[in-house]
Amino acid sequence: MLEKFKSYLQKRLPLTDEQFELISKDLKVKTFQKNDIILSQGELCSRTYFVLDGLMRSYSIDSKGKVHIIQFAPEYWWLSERNSLFNELSEFNIDAIETTSAVIIPKDYFLTVSKHVDGFETLNSTMLNNAIRFMQKRINMLLSATAEERYLDFIKLYPNLTLRVPQWMIASYLGITPESLSRVRKDLASKHFRP
Amino acid sequence: MKEIDLVLDPPAPHMVGDGFRVHNFFPSGHKIKMSPFFMLDYNAKIEFSARTQPRGVGVHPHRGFETVTIAYHGAVAHHDSAGNSGTIYPGDVQWMTAASGILHKEYHEENYSKAGGPFQMVQLWVNLPAIHKMSKPKYQGIKHADLPFYLLPNNDGRIEVIAGNYKDVAGAVSTFSPMDVYNARLSQGGKASFDLPETYNTGILIIEGEVRVNGSTVVNADQFVYFKHKGTDFEIEALKDSIVLVLSGKPIDEPIAQYGPFLMNKPEEIQQAISDYNQGKFGYLED
Repeated sequence: MLEKFKSYLQKRLPLTDEQFELISKDLKVKTFQKNDIILSQGELCSRTYFVLDGLMRSYSIDSKGKVHIIQFAPEYWWLSERNSLFNELSEFNIDAIETTSAVIIPKDYFLTVSKHVDGFETLNSTMLNNAIRFMQKRINMLLSATAEERYLDFIKLYPNLTLRVPQWMIASYLGITPESLSRVRKDLASKHFRP
Repeated sequence: MKEIDLVLDPPAPHMVGDGFRVHNFFPSGHKIKMSPFFMLDYNAKIEFSARTQPRGVGVHPHRGFETVTIAYHGAVAHHDSAGNSGTIYPGDVQWMTAASGILHKEYHEENYSKAGGPFQMVQLWVNLPAIHKMSKPKYQGIKHADLPFYLLPNNDGRIEVIAGNYKDVAGAVSTFSPMDVYNARLSQGGKASFDLPETYNTGILIIEGEVRVNGSTVVNADQFVYFKHKGTDFEIEALKDSIVLVLSGKPIDEPIAQYGPFLMNKPEEIQQAISDYNQGKFGYLED
């Protein structure tokens, strides 16, 4: 079950099978059914998820009941909620869009493993920097990019999600209306479609 | 004689959109070689309740193969990005060549949806040889009344020839590789014999009734019979009024790369299909 997690780590740091054995022996893989709610706003989130198969999302619901998708997590993506590291309650919800199996990573995992595996701390800090970089870019897109630019960026980042999630979810992630997303796709088709 | 290899029960059903409750006989349900038929989704007969907003499947793409819908009960309205649309009623066949790419949507036809009632359909994915995967999409819609058929003697029934040939009757659609697809409609006691090449992958799905195959094995509605690749002839005898879908085709011996609605030969062709779809190269269709 953890093969994908192992290959993910081994691609990024020199990690022997024995070392992996050691750092993974207490990890659990959990399977969530489609639509299972994994975390609700107002709860304390004590874990990070690494998706092996399937698709999860984190999202908020505003005072009018509208859903805003913060992140999609398909295979090989991490999904976490950071308030818990400061003992604060979650502002986000997490659920499974598809039947999903994910590695459950306990809160103190990165700290503990960093002490035992050379290079893990650097990997962790690279991943954090990447996540910050990704979020800065996302903020900039939401503030400044046109609907088409947002969509084109989305299909580069998540190429196959257009086949896996409904239009409204993509629109919600992009911060545009479903009508606006339809318009973007229609415009692209009129530019690129050669019957 | 072509002997039976396996008699297969319908695997557990799943929903495709909210309009189709299908048993996937292959490739997920049972691991049998049926090329050029890549997939068989069978919506066994069920009752849908009346509904103003039709159930169905929204806009989605296909590339690299053909989708074939054969209706037995209920009605499905269809629209695609090439501008084709139509309604598939019981007995009708829709043979859509997605090839280089098409977007389509399928919903229960409005009047059927409003009335509700029995629903039963087959959807096949027919693979295309590599040289035809990127050819121009096309659409062959055949009404039940226009399906060529072979009339069996003694009021035994008739063999509707969807593709290929049955005796001297040529099928309604043209295909890109050799195959035979028939609806055998047999009266109780009626018999029909089939002569199909040894090398073809061959199977039959009992849509309705109960039949005896090769004089010995009794097969019930919703079961699928998979034949061995030895011998050419088999016989079906209807123990009740029956409908049997016969599928037989020359295997396409080429590598397969499949992801979601795309069926290609190489992984990079799948990546290309995803990218083309995302960039609007399949056209546009309103949901």
